[in-house]
Amino acid sequence: MVPTSYYIALSGLLFAMGMIGVLTRRTAIMVFLSVELMLNAANIALVAFARSWGDLTGQTAVFIVMTLAAAEVAIGLAIIVAIFRKRETTNVDDLAAMKG
Amino acid sequence: MMIAFILLGALTLVGGVITIAAKNAVHAALGLVGTLISVAGLFATLNASFLAATQVIVYAGAIMVLFLFVIMLLNANAPITGRDPIPFVRELAGLGGVVLAGSFVILAVSYKDPRPLAEATTALGGGSASVVGETLLTRFLLPFEAVSILLLVAIVGAVALVQRPVPQPDDVPDSEAELLAPPVGSAISRGGHQPAFQQQSLQHSNDEGEVRA
Repeated sequence: MVPTSYYIALSGLLFAMGMIGVLTRRTAIMVFLSVELMLNAANIALVAFARSWGDLTGQTAVFIVMTLAAAEVAIGLAIIVAIFRKRETTNVDDLAAMKG
Repeated sequence: MMIAFILLGALTLVGGVITIAAKNAVHAALGLVGTLISVAGLFATLNASFLAATQVIVYAGAIMVLFLFVIMLLNANAPITGRDPIPFVRELAGLGGVVLAGSFVILAVSYKDPRPLAEATTALGGGSASVVGETLLTRFLLPFEAVSILLLVAIVGAVALVQRPVPQPDDVPDSEAELLAPPVGSAISRGGHQPAFQQQSLQHSNDEGEVRA
């Protein structure tokens, strides 16, 4: 049986990778994909802890996180499409102003 | 079990590297699909069979299709050129990532299981749909209902956000109003107005570009 700490280490590596992606990519969609990586890293840790404690709370939390991710993607991509229609770009450096 | 973990973990990390490093957005999305499927495999090795199935169906299926649609719709493959507003942002991000990953690994190594792993694993009941569903509808009923409302709000919000502004007959001269007003829900009238709207927004962005330059 694989020790829990291996899963947590993997989760940490994946989370750090997602963070690097969020900081270095310029297109809004690529930033979004990196956020998904970070969400999945957290999910791995939650499921590993659920097994470690023998408690289903962690697995239930992961189920709810997945639902939240679906909602977040739907709204986020709708915002990106709306911005693209107005500004013809999704470069996050060009979208630094709060004004329309 | 260990071999499965090593293989799936390696696939997860390779998919992650492709996601953050690929020049082409579609390649990045496909790398993420690989990561998501490997994570589903990891869930299976952790006795969470229901979550493994959900991960493939919802994440690798539904969410990634949405991503690919938007990438192709926006033609996000065109490379973005220009200077980084913050110098050394890549080096700083890499350094921060290494520090973060290192601290996570140190934390992970010091983690002790609160009870024997074999005993805890039996208590999970294999993470089947029935045991997860029972927890969800008894202890976590309120979050479950809250999430269902959130999904409803997200659907309405997504539709409201991407809706194009419908031209009002009052705003345009009578001659054009006749073209725009006619029969309910006619796609032609909206389509006819569309180029003008896009041209206007393009003009707007051009103006801003000049101001910025």
